[in-house]
Amino acid sequence: MAEASSSITEKFFLTLKSSDGDEFVLEESIAIQSITIKNMVEDGCSSSVIPLSKVDTETLIKVIEYMKMHSSTSSNEEEIENFDKKFVSNSINTILNILEAANFLDINNLLELCAEAVANRIKNKTPEAVRKIFNITSDFTPEEEAEIRNETPWAFEGNLDHSLD
Amino acid sequence: MMHKKGKNHSCRIVPPDILSYLPENVIDAIVIHLPLRDAVRTSILSKKWRYTWCRLQKLTLDQAFWKTTNNLISPTIRFTDIMYHLLTLHVGPLTKFTLSIGDLRNCPKIDNLICFLSRNGIQHLVLQFPKDNLYKLPSSFFTCFQIRHLSLHKCLINPPPAFKGFDKLVALELCEVTISSKFLVSLISYSPLLEQLVLQSSISDHIQIKAPKLISFDFTGSLKLISLMDVPLLAKLSLVDIDEGGSCDIAKFLESFPALEHLHLNCYSVQFLAGKVPKQLLSPLNCLKRLYLSDICLDAVDEASCVLCLIRSSPYLQDIEIQLYDSDSGDDDVMEELAALESREVESFSDVTLNHLRAVKLTGIIGLVPEMELIQLLLAKSPMLIRMLIEPGVGDNSPETRLKVLAEITKFRRASSKAEVVYKVA
Repeated sequence: MAEASSSITEKFFLTLKSSDGDEFVLEESIAIQSITIKNMVEDGCSSSVIPLSKVDTETLIKVIEYMKMHSSTSSNEEEIENFDKKFVSNSINTILNILEAANFLDINNLLELCAEAVANRIKNKTPEAVRKIFNITSDFTPEEEAEIRNETPWAFEGNLDHSLD
Repeated sequence: MMHKKGKNHSCRIVPPDILSYLPENVIDAIVIHLPLRDAVRTSILSKKWRYTWCRLQKLTLDQAFWKTTNNLISPTIRFTDIMYHLLTLHVGPLTKFTLSIGDLRNCPKIDNLICFLSRNGIQHLVLQFPKDNLYKLPSSFFTCFQIRHLSLHKCLINPPPAFKGFDKLVALELCEVTISSKFLVSLISYSPLLEQLVLQSSISDHIQIKAPKLISFDFTGSLKLISLMDVPLLAKLSLVDIDEGGSCDIAKFLESFPALEHLHLNCYSVQFLAGKVPKQLLSPLNCLKRLYLSDICLDAVDEASCVLCLIRSSPYLQDIEIQLYDSDSGDDDVMEELAALESREVESFSDVTLNHLRAVKLTGIIGLVPEMELIQLLLAKSPMLIRMLIEPGVGDNSPETRLKVLAEITKFRRASSKAEVVYKVA
């Protein structure tokens, strides 16, 4: 249906299928921001549905949202900047899922954006706060922890942030 | 595990520790965005994180280290400690390293660090040292053959006789570096790929720069000591002269840069070029898009005519920024005489239209006749102008003067119906 409606402008469309089985039709010119998809198109696998077994529906919707904004010629720099700012305010688990998808789909600027967002949640935080934010369980004994602190004491000094924001 | 009150989405099922199980390259992409102290602190999170930071290929070591801590040990000793921790723990290639210790009173002994970098594939190196007791780069520095970006602040370079330069160098920045002119010339000429060059008062003898791939050159120093030859690709040129004296023919000088797109000059470099100023350059600057002039006195005849010559000779200019020098001189008689001169210059614009000029920024306007004439001229000659921003100077603060300036500007004819003129009162 999508092909018929825009046959005049000769747009090509791809169908992406999430791990939950949902299908999304997307303009090829937008989708090939993903190097993984671009390579598939170049190898001639684009005529059928492209299965993205590592990306769930919720994450894929976000990724498509991002690609649409970043490929649109109508969106100016300021709009993109505001979009990105809002985009990284998603919950940390959503960001981590997008980060993993961006890595799998090979969308470098999305990967960088999310990597920086994650880094911002680690910056200035105490190790205890970082563990809580990301559900990391320490498997060190107290003696081992003391040893690590001793190894690079300068990294643990000063006023660090205990909050979980 | 106890669940603290958390946020309003605490009802969501939280999958266990996604972060730690991301692929290694993704974890690296995250950690690289952290300041070094935060990156090193991840080593205590869990065993999976123990040595993650140690494989980072980019490290920055700067003042933030000792400023955030309330330690009584001298910063130099602390720095030495930190440096040895890094050298013992880091593994694998280290391609980018930034050392910024300009605030330390004494330069710590870092020969080992430089040696370490030279043996671990350094490609992008930034070294900023304290200004006292100039640090002399050790011989290992001259074996960093993978180097592509090099930025040095305040040090002494004395290469071994056999040194032939860094042949992969793309960007070179030398600020207040003690280096012989002869070596500087050979460093540049042995870097056939050099695209960016920043020099800040590093030279005391005249040098000739030949760099066929050079795209951007940023120079602060004595213009009479430098000549640029064979730079056909040069697109960005910034010349900030620091002392008066010397002069040259502007036409001849600019002829050598056919691809110039951005030009920045300050008052002394304008004066330097004003040795001989024609009405219009014979070969116009057809690529020039942005002209930025700083510390300019429009009431100095040579400077004003040079500025006008540049504008007249750049038919494709899109953006002009002129920052006027704030002077308190107010001798009206002199001013009138100069204004008349200026008028003659302005008349010579009759055959010129600035068809591509979109943005103009003028700062330090205090309402002198030549300033107002320049504003009038630019408004009348720029049919595509979108925005002219005018900021008054700090020298004359009286509201009456400002009001007078503003009233006068509103009277000027505008060639562009879209032009927005903003008079910004701080």
